[in-house]
Formats: sequence, structure tokens, C-alpha cells
Amino acid sequence: MGEHVIATQDELSNGDRKLVEVEGREIAVFHVNGEYHAYTNWCAHQAGPVCEGKLTGTSDADFDRDSLTVELDWCKEGEVLNCPWHGWEYDVTDGTCLSKEKVQLPSHSIKVENGEVILTL
Amino acid sequence: MSETAQHATSETTVIDTDVHITVEEETVAEYMDEPYRSSITESPHPIFPSSSWDQRMGGKIDDHFSTFTSPDDLLAFQKEFDIEYPIINTFEPLGKFSQPDLAVNLMQAYNDLLFDRFLDDHDFLGLASIATQKPHKAAEELDRVGDEDQIVGVYVGTSGEYPPLGDPEYDVIFQAAEDNDLPMVYHGNGDEFLFDFPMHNKGFNNYFEVQTLGHPWQQMATMSSLIGEGVPEKFPDLDFIFLEAGIGWVPYMMHRMNKIYHMRRSEVPLLEKSPEEYIRDSFYFGSQPLGEPNNPADMKRIVETIGADNLMFATDYPHWDFDHVEELDKYLRNYFTEDERKKVLYETPVKAFNLPL
Repeated sequence: MGEHVIATQDELSNGDRKLVEVEGREIAVFHVNGEYHAYTNWCAHQAGPVCEGKLTGTSDADFDRDSLTVELDWCKEGEVLNCPWHGWEYDVTDGTCLSKEKVQLPSHSIKVENGEVILTL
Repeated sequence: MSETAQHATSETTVIDTDVHITVEEETVAEYMDEPYRSSITESPHPIFPSSSWDQRMGGKIDDHFSTFTSPDDLLAFQKEFDIEYPIINTFEPLGKFSQPDLAVNLMQAYNDLLFDRFLDDHDFLGLASIATQKPHKAAEELDRVGDEDQIVGVYVGTSGEYPPLGDPEYDVIFQAAEDNDLPMVYHGNGDEFLFDFPMHNKGFNNYFEVQTLGHPWQQMATMSSLIGEGVPEKFPDLDFIFLEAGIGWVPYMMHRMNKIYHMRRSEVPLLEKSPEEYIRDSFYFGSQPLGEPNNPADMKRIVETIGADNLMFATDYPHWDFDHVEELDKYLRNYFTEDERKKVLYETPVKAFNLPL
């Protein structure tokens, strides 16, 4: 258990990430809309390198039973982390899996002090 | 490829029964004769047919496929996945080609390329591709390449093949395969769904529906044709291997064909035992893509039903729906004995492919 400076604020523009190895574990920190989120690089599906996947949006849909129409919405642009192995989607802002309940990326505490991004592990 | 944690298979010898080599069209053209070579290199239209489905969902899934082209790529894959023996194939399903002579020339070119670029200078194991449009040409090809020790099976895509793959028209292929001690290896395909099921391909609105059905429909059609035409009875020393449709369809087909056989035996008088017996005696199944039941015990029952004597591990690397070794091994380690696990990962494929190990 300890604190590790893994990046500076200047390194990470909005939408950027940095993959580091800390105490033998691969961990990525993501900068999303002024907030920082850190996860272990390990997909809950087949242990793929999830933190190396694309950040995209995703589709949402609503069905109106009266008009029998489906309204599609491309949403969460830049907030969906896709595992590059099989496309499992995770919300990068909280690590939750979009296709399976109770599945969560292993997350880590991040704070910013004096321009430094600090991971607690 | 990224670093992954060492897993339990690092201490177990693992045979991967389905590894695809990517061959660029221009590369295979180098091994072709004219006028077919120019059909590949000079045509203004794509000769290699493809559907328009976006399999990688706009890049949500990485493209491992197009860069997996050399022996060095195979060696790196072996190291990362702890695979001692990848059984490689040149992937492209040849049944989809409209021009029979072009398909036959491609068949020879893929096999020449396999030797020249992968087998001659490495100890890999590989499958001989055949084009079934001209069965006697496929049989001649098996006689040409089949006695090489590194060739361990006959690779047939189960998409676009016509008539269905148990038809007596193919007996000359079965005969050549049996004479060369090679199993028939049938491989399902997703993108090529349009050749077998064009109406459904056009009718479905997303690839979810196509991928769900493509591989198992193709493999079910092939298995039904093989059993219904009595192929295992006509060629008792021939084995049949099915790749890339997972395994859940297998118990269903065994039991359903048993039922129909008892009702309609007189239609299939070549058969002297139940379909299930033929399947247990001479049919083998690659695990990928393994289904993902919400309750793991459901997979235990499927694996038990098929049994370790007929089940083999496969990754399907580098395709985008490949399985990591752990995907199957987590069930093998938790639910089965070490002897059963070793059968699935090593001994059963050694038997099915008559491997020189």
C-alpha cells in the first residue's frame, strides 16, 4: 500500500490515458472531462488488455410501444472503453460493464496534487 | 500483443486445433498460374467476395488478423498463449469462389505457400486446403501434399460449398483423405454466411443475428449431410473434425439425428448404427467459440455430454472472436480430472489428427 506518482496533469489531455506498471501490475489512468480514473489492465471476460482498447461512444435505444418505433441514440462519446480482444464495453467513468450486471473493472484511487496524478495502491 | 499473467496451461502441453494464417491476396497470387494470377492482381473489382457486415464494430474490437502473416507472428503467439503445437490453416474458405478453375488454382497456391513460408523452415503442423468445386482435383491435391508429415488434415470451409458436403460427389475426396490418413476438417465462417443463407443474410439487420447462426447452421448442415449420406460407414477409417461453431450444437444434433434415424431408417440404409455412435466413434470438435452460460454448471453438462475423447481445444487466433486458453481450461480444471483435461488439451487432438508427436 502506497502512493505512486504515475503522470503529470500536463501529460494527459482530455481523452488521454497512460498505461503504467506499478508493483508488478499493469494499471491505466484515464483523463475524462476533468476527472481521472484508474483501472487494472484486465478484462473480466478473458483477461484481455482492456485498458488498451478504444474509447468510443455507444448506442442506446428506446422503444415507443404506441408508435412502434425505436429511437436510436449514439451516446457517452469518449466514455466507453472497449476491450480490444472481444469488444466488451465498460463505462470508463465508473468501470461498470455495459452488458453484464455486477461486472466491474478493478479500480484504484486517484488524486491530483500540485499537478501530479497520484495512484494509491 | 500485451503481457498476460502466466496461467495454468504453462505446465501443460497444449495443441491449438485452429490457428489462422493471414495471407494477403497479392501474396497468394505469387503462387498462382496465369490467367488466375492476373485475376487477383489486375482485376478492378475484388475477386475475393465479402459481405458488408462490420465485424469489428467501427474499431471497438482490434484487428489482430491483418497483421498475423509470418512465422514470427506465430512464434510470438505460441509464447504468449503457451501453445506448443498450433495447427495452422490458410483460412480462406474456397467454396465461395464462383470460378471453379480459379478456386482450384487458389487451392494449390495456398498449399504451396503454406509449405514455402511456414512448414519448410519450421516444425509447424498445417492443414491442406481444398476447393470442392472440382472434387477429383481436390483428391489429386491431397495425393500431392498429403504424405508430408506436417500436413495433418484436410481443410474445408463449410460456407459456399455445393452440394452439401456429404454428397456422393465428394466420395473421391473422402477416399483420398482416408488413403492419406488425413481427417476431414470442417470450418464454419461468419462473413461467408451470405453464400449459404443469402435470404437470411439480406434479411437480418445486425451482425449479432448473423454470427449467432452462421457457424452452427453451416456445421449442422455438414454433419447432417455426412451422416445422412452414410459417409462414416462408407469410409470407416476417416475422421471428421468440426471447428469454430462452439460445442453446444453437438449434443442437440446427436440426439435429434438419433430420433429421426429411428423414424426414417429406411431412408438411410447405409447406416448400421445410431448417428450418436458414428459421432462418438469418429467425430471431433474444437471448443471455440465456447458459449458463455450464466450458470457455469450448464457448460459442465455440455462438456460431459460430448466427453474428453471427442473434445479439443481451439483458439481461432487471430480472429476477433478467438478464445483464450483459460476460457476452456477454467471448466476443465474445476470440473474434470487431470486425465480428462490432458485428453482435451493434448491427447484427443493427437488421435484425431494422427499427429506425429
